[in-house]
Amino acid sequence: MTSLPQDTARARFKLGEDDKPIVMSAAFILVILAVGTVYTLYTQGTATLLSPEYLLQQLQVGAFLGIVAAGMMLVILLGHIDLSIPWTIAAGAMMATTVGGPMAIPVGLGVGLLVGLVNGLGVAYLRIPSMIFTLGVNAVMRGLMVAHTGGFAPQTAATDLMQYLAVGKILGIPVALMVWAAVSIIVMLLLQRTAVGKSIYAIGNKEAAAYLAGVPTRWVIVAAFCLCGMLAGLSGTLLAGYSTKAYQGMGDAYLLPAIAAVVIGGTHILGGRGRYLGTLIGVILIVLLNSVLSIMQMPESGRQVIYGSVIIVMLLVYGRGQKVTS
Amino acid sequence: MSTSPSEPAQAHVQLTGVTKRYGGVTALDNVDFACELGSVHAVLGENGAGKSTLIKIMSGVVQPDEGEIRLDGTPTSFSHPAAANAQGIVCIFQELSLLPDLSVADNISIAEPPRRFGLIDRKAQRRRAEDLLARIGCEDVNPMARVRDLPLSRRQMVEIAKALAKDPSVLILDEATSALTSADVDTVFGILRRLREDGISILTISHRMHEIEAIADKCSVFRNGRHIETFAQGARSEGEIVQMMIGREITAHFPPKPPPPEATKPMLQLEKYSWEGKLKSIDLTVGAGEIVGLGGLDGQGQKELLLGLFGVLKGTSGTITVQGKEVTIASPQDAKAAGVDLALIPEDRKTEGLMLPMSIADNLTIASLNRLSRGLFVDQDALTAAVEDGIQRMQIKVGSSSDPVSTLSGGNQQKVVIAKWLMTDPKIILLNDPTRGIDVGTKQEIYRLLRSLAEAGASVIYYSTDYEELIGCCDRVAVMYDGEIVRELKGDEINERNIIASALKMDEAAE
Repeated sequence: MTSLPQDTARARFKLGEDDKPIVMSAAFILVILAVGTVYTLYTQGTATLLSPEYLLQQLQVGAFLGIVAAGMMLVILLGHIDLSIPWTIAAGAMMATTVGGPMAIPVGLGVGLLVGLVNGLGVAYLRIPSMIFTLGVNAVMRGLMVAHTGGFAPQTAATDLMQYLAVGKILGIPVALMVWAAVSIIVMLLLQRTAVGKSIYAIGNKEAAAYLAGVPTRWVIVAAFCLCGMLAGLSGTLLAGYSTKAYQGMGDAYLLPAIAAVVIGGTHILGGRGRYLGTLIGVILIVLLNSVLSIMQMPESGRQVIYGSVIIVMLLVYGRGQKVTS
Repeated sequence: MSTSPSEPAQAHVQLTGVTKRYGGVTALDNVDFACELGSVHAVLGENGAGKSTLIKIMSGVVQPDEGEIRLDGTPTSFSHPAAANAQGIVCIFQELSLLPDLSVADNISIAEPPRRFGLIDRKAQRRRAEDLLARIGCEDVNPMARVRDLPLSRRQMVEIAKALAKDPSVLILDEATSALTSADVDTVFGILRRLREDGISILTISHRMHEIEAIADKCSVFRNGRHIETFAQGARSEGEIVQMMIGREITAHFPPKPPPPEATKPMLQLEKYSWEGKLKSIDLTVGAGEIVGLGGLDGQGQKELLLGLFGVLKGTSGTITVQGKEVTIASPQDAKAAGVDLALIPEDRKTEGLMLPMSIADNLTIASLNRLSRGLFVDQDALTAAVEDGIQRMQIKVGSSSDPVSTLSGGNQQKVVIAKWLMTDPKIILLNDPTRGIDVGTKQEIYRLLRSLAEAGASVIYYSTDYEELIGCCDRVAVMYDGEIVRELKGDEINERNIIASALKMDEAAE
């Protein structure tokens, strides 16, 4: 009887099913930083990894991935996937630099939105599995971009505003990080506080039940793909600003890490559950892991093996936890 | 010669002191239970009474925390269902266990397909399926048909054939008849009687009292995980049994019906409503404050009528008039829109009514998010208030509204589905067999609720496979046959004889 208040206090702080992956990823981030710091202390005698400059620089690099992952999360929560990300990024970047001027950024976003709309319509109305449909759209976009550029990096350069958003700083804080933060706040509000967000979770759990509850399921699916495409376009536009121009294959390195970040953050790959905070932490984990492995001068082959193993091991650990409850 | 129900000499399967806990919940509490060779033993109890856990322990799905299982007097334990099967204990579960994309024959022989040279002998498999289907009177089911294409009642019969294929010595039926039509139930009971004569022990869970009366030799009542009493069938009155199950006095089975209303204002009018040969030119008028039942054999278009009205079916024709205005309903969104105000309690709450892993609060509010939104955002205060109101109104037993809805018992889950729709203030409520597989107490709450909604001016269209419900609840019963309404029964005409006669299109003979 006397333990009752304690019990309720514990219940309040009890970790929910969705919190466990977040806590585990956060702990793993600390492990990465600790291992990296031990290494730099040993080899250089400095704790470079713990300096604010290093961390802010990593977050700036992480912003491009983070923005893509935010959109990917919406689609994965639905139980779908968007494999057209690589060439949506490249198309957004290329069209933005081609148009240039004040319309560069709106065009970059618009191209992404358009690709997302095609994806959404194909998945929601034609009922083609997203894995196939978006893969096809990716190939189409690639073809269109090669036709547009002749297969070479476009000669056009990113506008000043694009470069400012990608590499500029306000009071020492990278602007790209602020863009990522703004995207994060919007996505978080969308998921937690709007009817569309709640409908996304409902569709991911049981589309038939959501439909019979009068949820406009097709509209929600189209909207989620549009947002995902638009965010990929935004990321592409920023990336072009970061490297001052667009180039072939610039989005190739973002597809797998974006999916991995979402899933490491605890979002169920089959949809229906997951928290945005998890995706944020998943992105940070992947960016830091990459960075620390390159600081440790791990050859590319070894980096790939470790990187892939980490993803598999983390998912194995989550999978075990989920089995107990379901 | 005194034979107490748990006398070990006769017991085929005997449980002693069995306890099972799930987290903090004790599902079975020190239960002694025995079932005997060559008898049909009915287990009764509300949802959450421990019946399903009892069956899961006997069939090896879960292991008891304490206690002992004896089979023919030898202590035994089953680590998994296949071990129980090997000992002849076969269970037909409430949730269908068939693989929808495989054929009927594949499903029946899924555990041990007949082999030839190490490969599956498809011809033998097909013959086996044909034999078993013939045995349960289902010659109409093609063994090569995909299970997905069969109606629910046929699928349940395939499930029974699959269990018989394992040659059971103990056959456990968990709500196995709840999706069946009356004719199928009779066939199944005939088979069960034959199996009983062969000395097989049969354990059955059913919420239908008249079925238990028809088949059981012994009854055991469970409540809150405890075994209350075992008695010979017929030794206790229906009232006594119900009281044992719920532990409180039940006054009336159904709420009293008001006198037949004098021509009420029509709420919903259907004219020449048709769909792809499954619905044929249906004319139906439902008044405000009226409960109209849909009767007839299973699969005569009742479900299609409800789904069509709710905007799920494409390509319907005819006119729908709601409150004097002709409307087009092309999707559930249209159906719940203001001015139409329809609600549908779907047939299968697990796949159509609920998002099981999501919270009770999310499930309750999913149909009314647009009402709870202010501008772009959902109003959190309004949401909390709505959730509390819904839980109160339906008296849903919940720990916390943030728990997954899957943690609730079947009856409480169904209450969540109903409460979800009450939040939208519907004027016309369509119910597709809403009391299937839920306990007596909750059933009665649903009957009372429907009556009070009707008294408040709503219209109810109620499809049930249980004639008792149609007779007890409805002001009018429209009996369907092959996509048509063949007869509308009113007032005193609503009785089992008339419903069955019309369902079989025997009007002339029955008059």
